Amino acid sequence: MAAPMELSCWGGGWGLPSVHPESLTVMAYAKFSGAPLAVNTINNSWRASKGDVPVLISEDTVISQPAKILNFLRKQKYNADYELSAKQGADTLAYIALLEERLLPSLLHTFWVDAENYCSVTKPWFASRIAFPLSLYLPGKMSREALNRILLTRGGPPFCSLTEVEAQIYRDAKECLNLLSKRLGTSQFFFGDTPTTLDAFVFGFLAPIYKVCFPRVHLQEHLKQLPNLCRFCDDILTCYFRLTASG
Amino acid sequence: ATLCFQAFLQMCNLPIRVVCRANAEYMSPSGKLPFIHVGNQVVSELGPIVQFVKAKGHSLSDGLDEVQKAEMKAYMELVNNMLLTAELYLQWCDDVTVEEITHPRYGSPYPWPLNRILSYQKQWEVRRKMKAIGWAGKTLQQVLEDVDQCCQALSQRLGTQPYFFNKQPTELDALVFGHLFTILTTQLTTDELSEKVKHYSNLTAFCRRIEQQYFEGNDKESSSTAAARSAKKSLLR
Repeated sequence: MAAPMELSCWGGGWGLPSVHPESLTVMAYAKFSGAPLAVNTINNSWRASKGDVPVLISEDTVISQPAKILNFLRKQKYNADYELSAKQGADTLAYIALLEERLLPSLLHTFWVDAENYCSVTKPWFASRIAFPLSLYLPGKMSREALNRILLTRGGPPFCSLTEVEAQIYRDAKECLNLLSKRLGTSQFFFGDTPTTLDAFVFGFLAPIYKVCFPRVHLQEHLKQLPNLCRFCDDILTCYFRLTASG
Repeated sequence: ATLCFQAFLQMCNLPIRVVCRANAEYMSPSGKLPFIHVGNQVVSELGPIVQFVKAKGHSLSDGLDEVQKAEMKAYMELVNNMLLTAELYLQWCDDVTVEEITHPRYGSPYPWPLNRILSYQKQWEVRRKMKAIGWAGKTLQQVLEDVDQCCQALSQRLGTQPYFFNKQPTELDALVFGHLFTILTTQLTTDELSEKVKHYSNLTAFCRRIEQQYFEGNDKESSSTAAARSAKKSLLR
């Protein structure tokens, strides 16, 4: 019997078990694959200062980053992709790349760069879960890293200002949501009736956009016009996390 | 990336002339290569060029349904996310390759010390980007494993079909061809990268097929490609 594994991650709110996309992805995968995880939400974060959240600790092994954690779980025989064909496995990688390239920049922007959202929601939420005096410094650092990532990957000519970059990343995100909606269609999950790695990643990225109440919500409004994606998130919350859909 | 482009335009049956210029990056509206110059319009990067060509009435992906288009875009992002980043990593973050190949090649059109300054500047930019996306901590071995994973996914998706969406080539085929052909034919300090691709015989056959179909006949006409091709060798050899 494997020793219980411990997952350190950011906590929940607004009806979600975690508001952090990577943490949520790992938690969802663990539920789908039946991996027994003891979840510890962070409330003092020396570890988080290295950008290591979420972190899985199993006996003596410490693993960070969702992709590596999921690989580790699969090696421990907690494999949600067992029934997928080789092509479906390939599709999984491709759609995850789509999420990271097209949706992640605007997700980062909504949480960490948009001034109104950051000041009224994100910063207070994270600061309240981080020990003083790190709480004065860490949210700002995470915000700067998010902006940096957006500008380095999507900025540069022909965009001359942050506004133009922002407009482009939101256009890309809306297109990505439309593509996901078309791909999901009327199925319950992306590959039939049982959830897989791809469902964990999509849920991890979509649920925070869907549920967290920000003052500036254009991405959320666009998502709400795609009822199959909303239904997808709500189903996972009710079936796997035993939380009500209304939060 | 230039090859992705040429392949795409050949597949659309649009004639092109390739010209090499040292200041090409500065001529491009987005600072990125390649770019095309049509009449008095200049368009750079594969995405906008595909749109531009589509607006002129040529499109390779009109025959796809919505789900297939979603899949095509996802695979294109996979190639950009993994293959392109791995190529950049190898060119600019692997110390041996940087010293022996990249610095000399990148700085070659310029006199000293400009050649060194420009190439260090570019290296610094690329390393900043790698750090932002979490690739700075990766070892060469991990990057090669990522390339392998990407090639495996492409190989599984292609299967035994001639193109990714069966009988007709699309932007995805052009993109994959451009990257894989470059990996297979560019000389580096180590063969490990090209070995990863060669492991998948359907991918090498795919590259050979596109090379034969879209590039063979044009060799005589386009003498300016000779400079670009001098560093590359044909797959057929």
